[in-house]
Amino acid sequence: MARTLLGASIFGATLLAIMVRPYRIPEAAAAAVGALAMMAAGIVAPADAVGVLAGQLNVYGFFLGLMTISAIADQAGVFTALAGGAGRWAGGSSRRLLVGTFAIGTVITAFLSNDATALILTPAVFALVTRLRLPVLPYMFACTFIADTASFLLPVSNPINILIQDGLGGGLLPFLRYLLLPALLCIGLNLGAFLYLFRADLRQGYLLADLPSTEPSHRPYLRATLAVLGIIAVAFVLATSLGVPVAWVALGGAAGLLVLSAVHRRLGWGRLRREISWSLFVFISGMFLVVRGVENLGLTRSFGTALVDLAGRSPLRASLLTAGGSALGANLINNVPMALVMVSALRSIGTTPSSHQGLIYAAMFGCDLGPNLTTVGSLATMLWLLILRRKGLEVSSVQYFKLGIALVPVMLLLGGVLIWLRS
Amino acid sequence: MNILCAVGIRGGGELVRRVLEVTGPDHDLHLLHVTDAGPRHALEHLLHGPRHRPPPPPGRDPSLPTGPERRITEAEERATAAILDEARREAERAGFRCHLHAASGRPEQLVVARAEELGCQLAVIRASEGGAGTPRLGPASVGHTARFVLDHAPCDVLLVRSR
Repeated sequence: MARTLLGASIFGATLLAIMVRPYRIPEAAAAAVGALAMMAAGIVAPADAVGVLAGQLNVYGFFLGLMTISAIADQAGVFTALAGGAGRWAGGSSRRLLVGTFAIGTVITAFLSNDATALILTPAVFALVTRLRLPVLPYMFACTFIADTASFLLPVSNPINILIQDGLGGGLLPFLRYLLLPALLCIGLNLGAFLYLFRADLRQGYLLADLPSTEPSHRPYLRATLAVLGIIAVAFVLATSLGVPVAWVALGGAAGLLVLSAVHRRLGWGRLRREISWSLFVFISGMFLVVRGVENLGLTRSFGTALVDLAGRSPLRASLLTAGGSALGANLINNVPMALVMVSALRSIGTTPSSHQGLIYAAMFGCDLGPNLTTVGSLATMLWLLILRRKGLEVSSVQYFKLGIALVPVMLLLGGVLIWLRS
Repeated sequence: MNILCAVGIRGGGELVRRVLEVTGPDHDLHLLHVTDAGPRHALEHLLHGPRHRPPPPPGRDPSLPTGPERRITEAEERATAAILDEARREAERAGFRCHLHAASGRPEQLVVARAEELGCQLAVIRASEGGAGTPRLGPASVGHTARFVLDHAPCDVLLVRSR
């Protein structure tokens, strides 16, 4: 009993530190201290810890490969070129440019995952829109929102999906069966809501002459990089449908791009090293061990059993609660620990009845969509506050704000119902 | 007379023509464009915030932007030049003595501060930068920048409405 209390306290304190970040402690440090505490308390044995971390090589490889691919693609000017392409396609209409931004955001998220869109496409679009003398906020919002809304199009669209599928099994087909429809619906809803919300800002046109042009000397390298990215995208789809670990594709693709950039003499090791977030590996490793601790104590099993009881009585309510609860947890704390807790809980109950399988995808859906309100969401919230300040106390701005906050719950509700219908 | 004319991202030429209608040409016209730094701060919070991208390494001059920051700075400079150029051409055609100013920060505060620094007798501001959806009259027709300037400017203010 004392041991359970101690483990639960370590878990709670770690999550609290990640959420509140007292003294601006990095999340990675909080997770690492939590993991060491779990081991010091004897809740996670050293051999167990090694086993847990060794079992996650696919996740590590996927993260590393993906970050490398995104960084090299950025250095090759892929994101800037895509934003410019959207600008040419839109032909001077700011409304069409928003649609184009959603389209490239969706494709980049689908194949290179959400962070590529949130962290690399956003500045590229920001620069383009500033240059075209259009209001930047609608486009910034579009990028940050679509990064999470398109996160459940494919298993590789968000590392959280890989984390959950590695823990609970599943492949491309069950993924698409449960999540393709919710994904398309949420993307459409998101786009429609933005076109409506920002309709007053989207009436101006822009001059095509203001669009940037790629320097001719860059073009061969840019084209070759795009071609390799296309191959990587196809390989991701094949790997997930054949059950090949996606880390191989991510690392192989990264290696291919490294060779390509070396051949074109564009490889900057120092810059590449800085673009990769090494602390992320410490953070996820720490979280693996902390969650393993509460799993060893049987806490996630009780959570899972409670969920099954609920699912037995009302599958729809279970689906909605799982999606909503995961989203809330991903929002308040972080989607990595939330996903790990859900994996552990759902694994303990087994996934044989199809209603349980629906719960896996409901959890994934919630964890992917949730951060729209805080992690990227902390940015979204900041932006909404900015809009409020800019608009003064006008009534329309309060409605603006409310609609933004209302968008995610509506998407969660629709997605939860759709996943339940498929179970 | 020293006139400060705050030029938004669009419509600088039209704004100068409206000033001409009211004041006539024989004045010093200070054309000021302020780049709103708010959205960019939010973007930098995202890039260097808890979500992953580390800040530029120490030892490097932080005032020298690299990567995406450099591209955004270039785009801002280019847009500012185009905005001021458009207004300047109209002002010179009208016969004003023309002075150009660019700044980055909170537009409402910088407009007021510059009006004071330059000893202007008149500050010109558009009622709202909003698109066609903004109402022509009523409280919502005056945006927050214009309202702040009306409240705080040390001189007379000419509020230009969209026609």
